[in-house]
Amino acid sequence: MRKTLLACMFAGLVSMSLGWVTHSEAQASISSADWAAYKDKFLDGSGRIVDDANGNISHSEGQGYGMLLAFLANNRGDFDRIWSFTRTELMLRDDGLAVWKWNPDTNPHITDPNNASDGDLLIAYALGRAGSNWNRPDLYESATAIAKGISKTSLFQNQSRTLLMPGLAGFSTEDRPDGPVVNPSYWVFEAIPVMATLDPKANWSGLTSSGLKLLEAAQIGPRKLPPDWLSLSSAPKPANGFPPEFSYNAVRIPLYLMRAGNIDRKLLETFRTGMSGPDGSVELVDLPSGTPVHTLTDPGYRIIPAMISCVLDKTQLADDLKTFQPTSYYPSTLQLLALSFAQRSHPECL
Amino acid sequence: MNARALLFGASALALMASGVYVTGKIGDWSSLVASNGFLAAQAQTAPQANAKPKVDETALRYFARQGDQKRLDAEIARLRALYPDWIPPENPLALPQQSDQSLDAMWKLYSEGKLAEVRKAVADRQASDPTWQPPADLLDRLAVAEAREQIINASTIKQYDTVVRVASTNPSLLTCGDIDVLWRVAEAFAQSDRKDRAKDAYSYILRNCTNPEERLATVQKAMPLLPRSDLNTLLALERKAPDGTGEFAILRDDLARQSVAAADADSELVIPQSDVETVTRLAREDKLASDALALGWYYVRRDDPQQAEEWFRAAQASEDSATASQGLALALIDQNRPSEAEAVLYKWRDTNDDTKAVYMAAVSNLLAVVPPVPIRPEVLSRMVPEIVKSKDAAAAQQLGWYADGFNQFETASQWFATALSWKPDDEPSAYGLTLMRWKLDNQLGVAEMQQQWARESQRIARVGQPEPQRPEGQRGTVPMPAYGPDQIVAATPGQTTQPAYAQPAYTQPARAQVVNTQPALREIVRQARPAGEPAPVVQAQPRAQEATSAPRVAASQAPVQRVAKSQAPAQRQAGCSTTIDPSVLSAQSALNRGWCLMELNRPLEAADSFQVALRSLTGQAREDAAYGQSLAYLRLGLSDKAAVAAAKAPQQKARSVELNTALLTAQATGAFEQGRWTETIMALDQRAQIAPERMDLMVLRGYAFLKLRRFNDAERIFRAAAGTGNRDAQRGLAAVKDAREGGVN
Repeated sequence: MRKTLLACMFAGLVSMSLGWVTHSEAQASISSADWAAYKDKFLDGSGRIVDDANGNISHSEGQGYGMLLAFLANNRGDFDRIWSFTRTELMLRDDGLAVWKWNPDTNPHITDPNNASDGDLLIAYALGRAGSNWNRPDLYESATAIAKGISKTSLFQNQSRTLLMPGLAGFSTEDRPDGPVVNPSYWVFEAIPVMATLDPKANWSGLTSSGLKLLEAAQIGPRKLPPDWLSLSSAPKPANGFPPEFSYNAVRIPLYLMRAGNIDRKLLETFRTGMSGPDGSVELVDLPSGTPVHTLTDPGYRIIPAMISCVLDKTQLADDLKTFQPTSYYPSTLQLLALSFAQRSHPECL
Repeated sequence: MNARALLFGASALALMASGVYVTGKIGDWSSLVASNGFLAAQAQTAPQANAKPKVDETALRYFARQGDQKRLDAEIARLRALYPDWIPPENPLALPQQSDQSLDAMWKLYSEGKLAEVRKAVADRQASDPTWQPPADLLDRLAVAEAREQIINASTIKQYDTVVRVASTNPSLLTCGDIDVLWRVAEAFAQSDRKDRAKDAYSYILRNCTNPEERLATVQKAMPLLPRSDLNTLLALERKAPDGTGEFAILRDDLARQSVAAADADSELVIPQSDVETVTRLAREDKLASDALALGWYYVRRDDPQQAEEWFRAAQASEDSATASQGLALALIDQNRPSEAEAVLYKWRDTNDDTKAVYMAAVSNLLAVVPPVPIRPEVLSRMVPEIVKSKDAAAAQQLGWYADGFNQFETASQWFATALSWKPDDEPSAYGLTLMRWKLDNQLGVAEMQQQWARESQRIARVGQPEPQRPEGQRGTVPMPAYGPDQIVAATPGQTTQPAYAQPAYTQPARAQVVNTQPALREIVRQARPAGEPAPVVQAQPRAQEATSAPRVAASQAPVQRVAKSQAPAQRQAGCSTTIDPSVLSAQSALNRGWCLMELNRPLEAADSFQVALRSLTGQAREDAAYGQSLAYLRLGLSDKAAVAAAKAPQQKARSVELNTALLTAQATGAFEQGRWTETIMALDQRAQIAPERMDLMVLRGYAFLKLRRFNDAERIFRAAAGTGNRDAQRGLAAVKDAREGGVN
C-alpha cells in the first residue's frame, strides 16, 4: 500500500518538475495588490525581509521566502532587490551557503556563522525558478552553486537514508548525544526536484522519500504529529533540549506537501485531525500529552487545515482566508504561499 | 578546489579563481590582478583593438550635474586609467543635460550606496521596457560595489575563502584607492594558509601604492600574519626620504620587539642577536618597562638569571608591577636567592595564578635551603598563612623539614600530616611524618604509618631499623636515625636538581594593587590558621621541657644536616659507598668524595676525605675542603675541631659568617650543657655580633643569666622574648620570680 502510494507521489513530483521546466509562469499567482501589502509591511528598502515578530531580525529563510513570493508575484525588481541584500549580507560562508541570521541591532550584523538548510533550499529554489523563467543565467548559476553546496555539505546518510542537516554546526551525531537531529519542516518538498535539475548528481529523490518516511514514522503522541526537532539516534523521538512540541516549525509541513503536489489523503488527514482546534483554529501541541500549548487564529495558520479540506474534499476556503491582510511576517508568508497554490492548482477553492 | 569547482564549475570565472588557488608560483596574484587591467598605477594598456573604445561618460555627467566634485574627480581618474587615450571634457559641468531621468535616479541611488535599490530600479525598468539596456558602466560598478560589501562582510566573520573567491572574480576592486579591500584580501590569504599569496599581496601594495600612512599600516598588518623572512621581503620595499631615513625604521624596532616577545614565549626559539640588541638599545634609550620586561623574560627563559634580574629590576624602576616582580622572583630563585624572591613577590602574590605559583615556589625554595638558614619571624609568619591558604603540600612538607632542621619534631610532624591531608599520596610527606614519630619515640604511630605505606615506600618501611653503617664518634642530643641526609634531599624536591618552582606561562597580568590591610603579624598567623592546623615553626620554641629545667637547644646539629647544592661542587654523583683510603685520591676526587659521604651521612669519613682535599693547590678547592670538613665536624658534634677546620683556609665572607655562626651557636649550647654559664654568654655575645639572636638562644641567654643569679638581666631578656608570645620565655620569667622569692636556683 505504502509502496504504491510513494511511487504515485514520486511520479507526481517528477511530472511537476517537468511542468516547471516546460511551462512559462509569466502569469503571477500572487496579485500585485497582495504582494504590495506584503512588501509594505515586511520588505525593507535595502532588500531584507523583516521578521517583525522576532526582534526585526532577518534570516536566510525569510530572504528565501521573499524571493519566492516576489517570483510568484512576478515582480523582478523586488526579486533583485531581495537577492542583492541576500548576496551581499548573507552569502558569506566559505562553503557557498548562507549565514542564517542577520541582526539589525548588532555590529557586525552577523554574530553566528552557522547556516540553516531550509533557508539555503528556499534561496536556491527561488533563484532556480526565477533564473529559468526569466531567462537569467546569473540567477541560475547562483542557484546551481547553492544546490551543489547543499548536497555537498548538508545531505548526509544515516541508516541507509538520505537526510538534511538543519545546520552544519550543532546537530550531528558528533555534536550531540541524541544526534543526528533533523527538522522535518526543513524538507521544502517542492524545492527538491528543482535541486535535482540544478545538481543532477546528488541523491535528491532519496531526500524526498526519506522525508516522507520520516513523516510516517514520527507521528508522535495521541495526536500523531511530528515535533519541530526530531532525534534520529534511535526510533524517531523529540530531540533533547527542545520542547517536545508540534509547533511553529512543523505547522507548515502539510502546506509544503500540498504545494509539492502530494495528495496522500491518509497523511494529510492525520495532520488536519492532529492540528485542528475549535472553529478552524490551529493548535500547537505538547506531543506526549496531546494537550494544546497555543491556539492560533491568524488566517495564515488557519488556511493550512482549510487547504487540506479543499484539496481532499473540495471544501471552499472561507472568505477571511481568501483575502490577504498582512499580520506578522511568518503567518502572512504562509498565507501567501497557500493562496498562490490555490490560485495556480485549485482555483475551485477560491 | 573541489568545493569551489563544484560551486562554480562551469563558469569562466571559476577557472580564473582556481588558477589563483592551485598554482603556487609567486607573482600569480599580481599577474592575475594585472591581467585584468584594473589598477590605475599599473594600467597596463590593455591590448585594445585599433578601434577607439566607446567611453561611457554617464556617471561623469551625473556627478558633474550633482556638483559632486569628489566623485567626479574619482570617475575621471578611473576612466583615464581604463582608457589612456581618453581626454576628459574640459568642463564637465557644461556637458549637455541628460534627459533620462530614470537613469539619473539610478545613479543617485548608486551614489547613495543604495545598491539593492539600484538593482530594483534596473529590473523594474527592464520589465516595463524590454528594449532598454542598462549602461554597462552602471552594472559593472554595481557588481563591484556589491562584491566589496560581500568581501568586507565575509572578512569580518572570517570566511576567508569567500573573500578570496569574490575578490578574484572582481579584480577591479583591488586598487590603491580602496586599500581596506586589499588588506582584507591579503589577510584572507594569510589566514587560509596561503602565506606566499599574502606576501605577494602586501608586496603588491608596497610596490604600487603611495600613501605613506597606508604603506606603514600595510607592513604593520602583515607583521602578525607573516613569518620573519617574508616580512624582510616587505621591508626591502622601503622608500627612503631625501635625508636617508627609511619609512619603516620605526617598524624595524617593533619587529625586533615582536621577535623578542616571541622568544619570550618559546624558550626554544632562536632569534637574531640583532633583535636582542635592538631591544636592549631601546630599553636603555626609552626606558619603557615593557622593553625591559621583554628582555627579562628573554633571559630568564634562556637560563641567564643574572641578566634577567638586571632587566626585571630596570622594569620595576620604570613601573613596578606584578609581572616585573614575578619575573624578578623567578630570576632570584634561579640564582638560589629564594629569600629575596619571597620578599619581592609578597605584595603581588595574589595578583593572579602565576604570581601565586611563583610566590609558593619562592616559599618552598626558601624553606628548602640547606643548611637551613633561620628565617626572620615576620617572614615566617607571613609565609605560613599563604601556605595554608593555598593548601600547597610541597611547601607544607618543606616546612616540616625546616622544623625538623631545628629539631622541632612535634611541629614538623604536624606539618607533614598537614601536607598529607592536602595530598594524601605524597610519599615524601609520609616519610617525614614517620620519621618524626620515630624521633618522638611514638612507636605506635610509626607502626601505623609503616603498615599503611610499607608497600609503596621502602624507606618508610626501614625507618627505625638499625643502620649498619652508622658512623662512629657520633654524639649529641639528637638521635641520629637510620636515615641519611641524602634521603631527605631526595624527599625534598628541588634540592639536588632544579629549584622547586614551575615556570609559569609568560603573561602580562593587569597591574593590580594589593591593598595592604594587614593586622599585626601574630593576628595573621592566628587568623589564617584553621583549627587543627599546626603552629608555624617558631625558632624560639624548643621542645616542651620542664618549666624549671633549662631548655636543651641543639642548634649546633641543625644547620648541617643537609648539604646544600649551592655549596657543593658539581660531580658529586660519583659513588662513594665503597670504602677506600682517601689519601690515594687526587685532591679534587677527595673533595667530591667528601661531599658524597656527607650526603650519605658518613661525616667521619667525609672529614678524612676533606683532609686529603685540603692538599689542593687551588684556593677555591681548599676553601671548599675546609668548609666541608668543618661541616663534617659540626655534624659529629665536634665544634672545637670544626673551628680548627674552618680556619684551615680563608672562607668567603658569607660562608665564614655562616660557619662562625654555627660554631658559636654550638659553643654556646655546649657550654650551657656543661654548666659554663659565663662562656655561654660570651659565645652568645660573639655570635650576636655577626648574626641576629634567635629566640631560642635568647631564652638560653636568659637561663644563663639566671644561673649566674643576674636576675635583672635574666628578667629583661625573658621579658623581651616573652613579648613575642614565647612560652619558654614566659616560663623563664616565672623561674626568675621563683628564684627571687625562694632562691631556688
